[in-house]
Amino acid sequence: MDEQREAVVDKAAADDTTASSGSTCVVSERSVDEVVVVAASGVIDMLTAPQFGEALRAALEKKPEQLVVDLTEVEFLASAGMGVLVAAHEEAGSATRLCVVAEGPATSRPLKLVGIADIVPLFATVDEAVASLRG
Amino acid sequence: MIDTMQSADVTNAERFERVGILADAQTASNTRDEFAAWLREFFTLDPIRSSDVVLAINEALANCAEFAYLERADAGTMDILAWHDAVESSITVLVSDQGSWRPPVVPSIRSRGRGIPLMEALSDRASIETSDRGTSVRLEWADVAPVALRSRSAH
Repeated sequence: MDEQREAVVDKAAADDTTASSGSTCVVSERSVDEVVVVAASGVIDMLTAPQFGEALRAALEKKPEQLVVDLTEVEFLASAGMGVLVAAHEEAGSATRLCVVAEGPATSRPLKLVGIADIVPLFATVDEAVASLRG
Repeated sequence: MIDTMQSADVTNAERFERVGILADAQTASNTRDEFAAWLREFFTLDPIRSSDVVLAINEALANCAEFAYLERADAGTMDILAWHDAVESSITVLVSDQGSWRPPVVPSIRSRGRGIPLMEALSDRASIETSDRGTSVRLEWADVAPVALRSRSAH
């Protein structure tokens, strides 16, 4: 079901090497049942949030009908990353239905605590998100 | 000019201190990692709590790095002092700078300004003190047992 057409997004891989601490974020784009999935892994903090935002903007520029932002492999999500999610959601507007996949104390918990889950639809798995967007 | 900053590191079972560290994003990130390692080494916290503590202190450091010294060309410094109170079984974290934050109540756009609500939601007690000497964030968590105490009481 998962097509795994993994294409590392533009500058994402190159930028990683600049983070000398644990702040490493890898962003990749794939398609699951024709739904665009942008997946991030690692740390999304004020150092890496711009890179994450750039990848989301690049995906949104293509005006996909749906966009899943997969944070399953994200181990740390700071408010800088949450701001990127909200900005992407606003940028998606009515052209793209955007949702977020996150589960766990480091991601879905803070997203719920500050009310982002009320703004952007949140799912526990990519399959659930895709099913919802296609349904 | 380079020598104006004094840095002091303390890491032991009772305290974690970084004084006079650069208030920038890279230092905030490094310090967060060191603080997380301190938590893991000395305390028994479940994944939710430990994730809460690390995110909350990250937001405090990030606010210093982002907002404290906006009106200065060079980055200022910040301090983080954390200690465990064995009697209260609590952890208190103090993050301070000598700058002035932008008014936190009016985030310019919707995608910003979640640091303070996060700190409040993630800690048992949070307070922010602003004076002309700077800004100080105090975060507290109750019921934090040290690793050694937990394993000793098991016998």
